[in-house]
Amino acid sequence: MASVLKAQKKNKSVKDAKGKRKADAMDIDDEEGPSLKRLKNKQRVLMLSSRGVTHRMRHLMNDLEALLPHVKKDSKLDSKNHLSLLPELADLNNCNNALYFEARRHEDLYMWAAKTPNGPSIKMHVQNIHTMDELKMTGNCLKGSRGLLSFDKGFDETEWGKLTKEVFTHIFGVPQTARKAKPFIDHILTFSILDDKIWFRNFQIIEKDPLQPNGPPQTSLVEIGPRFVLTPIRIFEGAFNGATVYSNPEFVSPAAVRSALNREKGDKYGQRKHAEYERAERGAARKLDEDQLAVPKVFS
Amino acid sequence: MARKGAAATSKPKASSSKKNVEKALKIVQRTEESSEDEDELNLEDNEEISEDEDEEEGVDQEGMTKLMAALGEDGLDEFAQAELRALTGDEDEGSDDEDPEEEADESGDEEEEEEEVEVEEVDASEDEEGVEDEEEEEEEEDVPLDEVEDVEEDVVPRQKIEIDNKIALERIRETIKLDPSMPWTETLTLTYPETIDVDVDDDLNRELAFYKQALHSANAAKALAAKQNFPFTRPSDYFAEMVKSDAHMERIRQRLLDESATIKRSEDKRKEREGKKFGKQVQMEKLKERERSKKDMEERIKGLKRKRKGALDNAQEDGEGFDVAVEDAISDRPSKRGRSDGPGGKRGLSRQARDGKYGYGGPGKRAKQNTKDSTDEFVGRGSGGRGGRGGRGGRGGQRGGGRGGQRGGASKRLGKSKRVTARSRT
Repeated sequence: MASVLKAQKKNKSVKDAKGKRKADAMDIDDEEGPSLKRLKNKQRVLMLSSRGVTHRMRHLMNDLEALLPHVKKDSKLDSKNHLSLLPELADLNNCNNALYFEARRHEDLYMWAAKTPNGPSIKMHVQNIHTMDELKMTGNCLKGSRGLLSFDKGFDETEWGKLTKEVFTHIFGVPQTARKAKPFIDHILTFSILDDKIWFRNFQIIEKDPLQPNGPPQTSLVEIGPRFVLTPIRIFEGAFNGATVYSNPEFVSPAAVRSALNREKGDKYGQRKHAEYERAERGAARKLDEDQLAVPKVFS
Repeated sequence: MARKGAAATSKPKASSSKKNVEKALKIVQRTEESSEDEDELNLEDNEEISEDEDEEEGVDQEGMTKLMAALGEDGLDEFAQAELRALTGDEDEGSDDEDPEEEADESGDEEEEEEEVEVEEVDASEDEEGVEDEEEEEEEEDVPLDEVEDVEEDVVPRQKIEIDNKIALERIRETIKLDPSMPWTETLTLTYPETIDVDVDDDLNRELAFYKQALHSANAAKALAAKQNFPFTRPSDYFAEMVKSDAHMERIRQRLLDESATIKRSEDKRKEREGKKFGKQVQMEKLKERERSKKDMEERIKGLKRKRKGALDNAQEDGEGFDVAVEDAISDRPSKRGRSDGPGGKRGLSRQARDGKYGYGGPGKRAKQNTKDSTDEFVGRGSGGRGGRGGRGGRGGQRGGGRGGQRGGASKRLGKSKRVTARSRT
């Protein structure tokens, strides 16, 4: 009953909003904002991993959970084949986003960033993971403070980049209303596209120079961590299903890379062996016949 | 031979193929024979050559047999022996299939005819074969053409289908897009107006680029927040749980300290090392200096000795002077004594003062001349010129005393107390 009521209210508000927009009154919207229900960014993210994650991947997940207060962490997903379970799980947890870490062969990590229940979902390969626990990352920030999101211009140059930016805004941007969110800003998450990969960094914003506490405010940054690199593989239309709307032709699966390396090694061995064999053959073929007038024959 | 040539002209292709066939035959035969037989073959060639010589020059066959006997029979088997016999016996019988070409040259026309027929037959068959081969080759060429594509598909890594459905992407983005009228404070999203364009493998510059991006965004966000009255900076009295625990931060701090300590230590070490190097240099310099001074001193003394060599005979009397000279030499100021009482001495006294002190004009020469009284006087004569004169001369006596010491060096200088008493007595 309550839900029905809610739904009706929602519809009403939506209608109102639509009416407003039809009236093309952004200013009015702003003016009447306080009286009306202000637009709110409501995001909740379900984060979970597959079985077989290594400690590093697990720590990365922990870091993200610590940084993003609107994340709900769930237990590991047993099956790697039934990803269609994930939208359901997200729904059960009242989440409209999902961040799924899929570990393969105990060494490769794939990250699915998806909007549930209707998609899209982006599959990425995670490399170069450094967690917050590393002592080289000396920054620190409030637990649950909302981080700024900084995207470089590269995201706006391609269509998939734009979509990725939108999805990341939903997933990594902490909504103001998140329960555990703190009211101040002291760190910034940067996403940069370089070499067709997305580089993630997290910096603490220090506004006062620690050496001159009374001097003029001078913004400086210290890295908090984690850091990782994402290679986009595919973008699907649905949540963990649906048609592929983007595929990265540059992506080579890590298994292929490894096997290529191995093959190269094997090739080397094969070539060496072949050369050895050929040399032996040549030697046999070039062996001169015993001359019938050879010294031992003539003077036997 | 002429016929063969004619045949060759009439059927150039056939002849060439014939040659091929001959060669092939030869090869087949050779391969059929064992290595020993090959030896024999070569032998036979030699014999044939000698045979040619026979025909031309008429070398006797007996010599040949002798030679063969000398070579011994153990190297020859039945076949070779038979050939030998044939060679030595009648030449016509030597119809061996071993060397068709040479044989053809040697043997009669009939055999050649037969052989040509054979060859032609072979040619025909081979031509057919060749045609077939060609056909086969064509077929093979055809087939590979078909296969090549298949092979290429296998060999070339499967071309990845690039999907970039921009329309769909845009549509999807439209569906999930947040309301653009949403205030910035809801999302806190910023866009850096530059692309990161650095070398991926250059870690330092890459991280610097990220840092710049973050810094730019942070500053922009601060401005935006100020515009929207959005709390940005955390007040200093706002404490809350941090992402990293205090224990962890302590570890980080410890590590930083350790790092700086190591840097400092290594720097100190380096400095010390350099100091040591420099200290060594200083020490060397000092030693050298000492050595040099020692040498110098020795030389000076040696020179002095040489100068005084004449005076060495009466060393006893001259001892004082020598000592002074040595002292002078050592003290590096050899003209000290002369300078001390010379008019050019560095005294701060003016001419007048000096005149006042030492006297100017005055009695002059006459003061030193004997007078009537002095001639008669006997006081102080025996005790040395200085005392006597000093007693007499007043001012001039001082000067005279000084000179007297140098000139009349026969007497030893008295001790100080005696000198003082002597002065006071006068």
